[in-house]
Amino acid sequence: MNLSLVDPFVLAQEYPDTLTEKLSSGHATCLSFNHKGDYLASGRVDGTVVIFDIETNGVARKLQGHTRQIQSLSWSRDGRYLLTSSQDWKCILWDLKDGSRIRTVRFEAPVYIAELHPFNHLLFVASLFEDQPVLVDVSSTKPIKRILPSAPLRPQAPSGEEVDPAVAAKQAAQDAKHSTCVTIFTAFGNHIIAGTSKGWINIIETQTCTTIHSMRLCNGVVILLRLASNGRDLLVNSSDRVIRTVLMPDLSQLGIDLEPSAIKLHVEHKFQDVVNRLSWNHVTFSSTGEFVTATTFMNPDIYVWERSHGSLVKILEGPREELGVVEWHPSRPMVVACGLETGCIYTWSIVSPQKWSALAPDFGEVEENVEYMEAEDEFDVHPAEQVHQRRLDQEDEEPDAVTLDMVKGDGDADGVEPFAMPVLMDIEDSDSGEDVVAVGPGTMRRKTPGAGREGVNGDAEKPAANGSSRGTTRSRRR
Amino acid sequence: MDRVNPQPRRRDPRTQSPAESSSDELAAGSDHDEAERRRASWTLQKGITPLRPQKTGRLYSDSESPDELAVDADEYWRSSRKRNHRRSPSPIARPSIHDDLSQGGSDDLAGDDVTGSDENRASDADNWTDRSATPLAPPPPPKPEHLNYKEKFVMHGHLRGVSTVQFSPDCSMIASAGADATVRVWDTASGRLIHVFEGHLSGISTLAWAPSGDWIATGSDDKTIRFWNVNTLKAHTKVFDGHHNYVYQVAFAPKGNILVSGSYDEAVFMWDVRRAQVMRSLPAHSDPVAGIDVVFDGTLIASCALDGLIRIWDTHSGQCLRTLVMEDNPPATCVKFSPNGKYVLAWTLDGCIRMWSYVESRVLKTFQGHVNNKYSLSGCFGTYGPRDVIYNPPLCFAVSGSEDGSIIFWDIVSKQILQRLKGHSDAVLCVHTGTLRGKRMVVSCGADKTVRLWEEVNENDTGHDDDEFGDATPTPESHSQKSTPVHDADGDDAMTDVSAVPSTAATPAEDVTMT
Repeated sequence: MNLSLVDPFVLAQEYPDTLTEKLSSGHATCLSFNHKGDYLASGRVDGTVVIFDIETNGVARKLQGHTRQIQSLSWSRDGRYLLTSSQDWKCILWDLKDGSRIRTVRFEAPVYIAELHPFNHLLFVASLFEDQPVLVDVSSTKPIKRILPSAPLRPQAPSGEEVDPAVAAKQAAQDAKHSTCVTIFTAFGNHIIAGTSKGWINIIETQTCTTIHSMRLCNGVVILLRLASNGRDLLVNSSDRVIRTVLMPDLSQLGIDLEPSAIKLHVEHKFQDVVNRLSWNHVTFSSTGEFVTATTFMNPDIYVWERSHGSLVKILEGPREELGVVEWHPSRPMVVACGLETGCIYTWSIVSPQKWSALAPDFGEVEENVEYMEAEDEFDVHPAEQVHQRRLDQEDEEPDAVTLDMVKGDGDADGVEPFAMPVLMDIEDSDSGEDVVAVGPGTMRRKTPGAGREGVNGDAEKPAANGSSRGTTRSRRR
Repeated sequence: MDRVNPQPRRRDPRTQSPAESSSDELAAGSDHDEAERRRASWTLQKGITPLRPQKTGRLYSDSESPDELAVDADEYWRSSRKRNHRRSPSPIARPSIHDDLSQGGSDDLAGDDVTGSDENRASDADNWTDRSATPLAPPPPPKPEHLNYKEKFVMHGHLRGVSTVQFSPDCSMIASAGADATVRVWDTASGRLIHVFEGHLSGISTLAWAPSGDWIATGSDDKTIRFWNVNTLKAHTKVFDGHHNYVYQVAFAPKGNILVSGSYDEAVFMWDVRRAQVMRSLPAHSDPVAGIDVVFDGTLIASCALDGLIRIWDTHSGQCLRTLVMEDNPPATCVKFSPNGKYVLAWTLDGCIRMWSYVESRVLKTFQGHVNNKYSLSGCFGTYGPRDVIYNPPLCFAVSGSEDGSIIFWDIVSKQILQRLKGHSDAVLCVHTGTLRGKRMVVSCGADKTVRLWEEVNENDTGHDDDEFGDATPTPESHSQKSTPVHDADGDDAMTDVSAVPSTAATPAEDVTMT
């Protein structure tokens, strides 16, 4: 309802410019907004998941169940379910209505990233550390895991022709070297996009778990894949220090207008810092997909590029520490990122000055001096009664005080039943004093935001303070 | 009787922004406009498309020709409508309200003459809605001219004046609070007392149900806001302490995570409900803040103060976006957003309730007829009329108490008094509307220490005497939509809309008067 009143220049601003808030509850390592954008989930090194209310900047819920650092968070479309993956080899699906665990799925390895199917909260993909990625169906209490292929799709040998066994063996050996680092669903969830350690992108059909297209994108490891909100733009962060935006074909047309053989992935932009050869910790699209944002390795800066020309438009500054995960609010120009050292969550947004004319209705703000033209009847004196009566007589409109205006681009348009998270009145009492104090300045440096060392270091804080020995107590305490 | 305009038109929610409909009525339109307008209406009449809401929405704000500037507004409307009417002899499909004005005076008890277009209406409803119109349609009643609320329960128990009363979000309960510093929760269906919460150290001026229905927040003259759990019947351990003076009114944001409070200390606080801490203070007013409301989607906060200013705030940024004020600054004691959030209703101590379009900073309607120069009265919006008939705009009333002990309902379009309920023996301080099991209800409380529940009874029993509706000056529109019953599938949700809006009810405790 406020859009008609807010300064259009503020609304037109597309990316944030100022550090506005610092949220802090423990040492956060990963972040995720829900689709509506009113809650921000953060995963901590101690395995706790904290959900912040963006409107109050307070903690809305805490979820305790993991024992190691949280690796990824994935919201269901309606915002009721949250999938968390952790280095404790588990994924947990939470129901935020009461904070209960719906499913707990164990794996044979730590989980890199797990992502929920966009329309089915009982289906998710998980990419595992040095293991095959899996598609997990948790619709029953016993999870059904299906292994996804990592090897790229090879061109089919023409039928009838004998395949040279030596070549086949070589290919098999090569295929075995591929391991999938990241898997995500496409916009409709019919396909899975997987990035491998050899820089390949595989498109896998969800239904059959078969690769329908493969493409070599780069030489380095694919660290992160993200889809823009339109579902057609793919953002790839790889270890070769280049961020690529890739234009995808409309996979929903597959089998109608599009043959699997005709799929082409087209690299649109390559973002890199040629001078400093920076590598990128974490990348994200803006809400509209017009901007690409990345946190930099060894630097407290966030780079913002725009995609129409591929130019750098802004470097967000503020905190003095290196930043890990960065996320863009799903509808507002607001960026959040978590610091690697302190685990604080920083938010950047737009600060608009108070328009003083809004406080004094008789005044207006002008750019330059305006000569005041006195109206003909400005100082005419009418009897008060008459003025009042005339005013009453002029009130002859037909206001509609009930009917709601449809808001364009309303999130509920796709028929999702909105879910309202209950407001917990005793959230602060649930646990207190566990916030990890910032470690000494400039002492730590980590390779990647999600690496295992961090969890150990962060975890060590409390047991050490307790005076008990580190290694033994840690696991039991959680 | 020839009904010009009974043809239904599916109400498009985007139909008209206030800006469109409010263009100066005396401003000159061109003949060209008029021609186009007629063309548009003919298109509609052929049933081709009832879209183009902009077009139709503008209809009645366009003038016919520039020379009418000279004519007195009232006169002009009558004449132009007659002309309009003559030009279009058959029912026109626009919602144009004004067309039938000329016959407005004689349209009561119409019923039959509207049936001619019944097939039209039914088919149209089928075309434009998924479910067919409710088969109750024939004979579609004209717009009711009065309401028929009857007293259902009188709830005694408060020891002193009752300053505020509110239905729970599902309307199954009623909470009331007052100068005796207690909060009483009543069962709506039986009128029985469920529980008494005690804990405040002095009179309670305001209460608000949390949108979840689990908690009641109360603001008191002991400067605190307390929370009471309706399920466990216990008080919240945390007291919302921070105001330096009497808490005057509180309101919840729709998600229940933020509580906004206005106080005698001239501040507006936004509280983080979970932490029980002030998350933001709005540098609001230079006089006691008497009224607070939050719009249905939570993006705007309205506050009003005894300095006569009504301010609209952006919840997210905490900035003032608009200030509304009447020239002679009558103290503003209560403010409420309309169910769709486009307007605010503001009570002032000059005996007026004004409905503002805050986007345009303009008063749309002034409701008079009640007595208000001492207490801060409170009321709210509600809908009326048969559920199975859709009016455009939907029938909506504003209701308020009065210091003479009556409760008054105004139609927000015609400003006419729809009903004047008598029963309270002293000032009625707070009125709230709600719906339980399809029954529209109103609950009121007053300085006579009672809480009264009123229920709408079947309109068929209503006698048709118009005598008591005379006093609010009938504008040309007064009878406007009475003959435009229009079907719409979502019509029966109208009341739900209203009750879904958290409208807090609050007035000062009995011993704090506004003089």
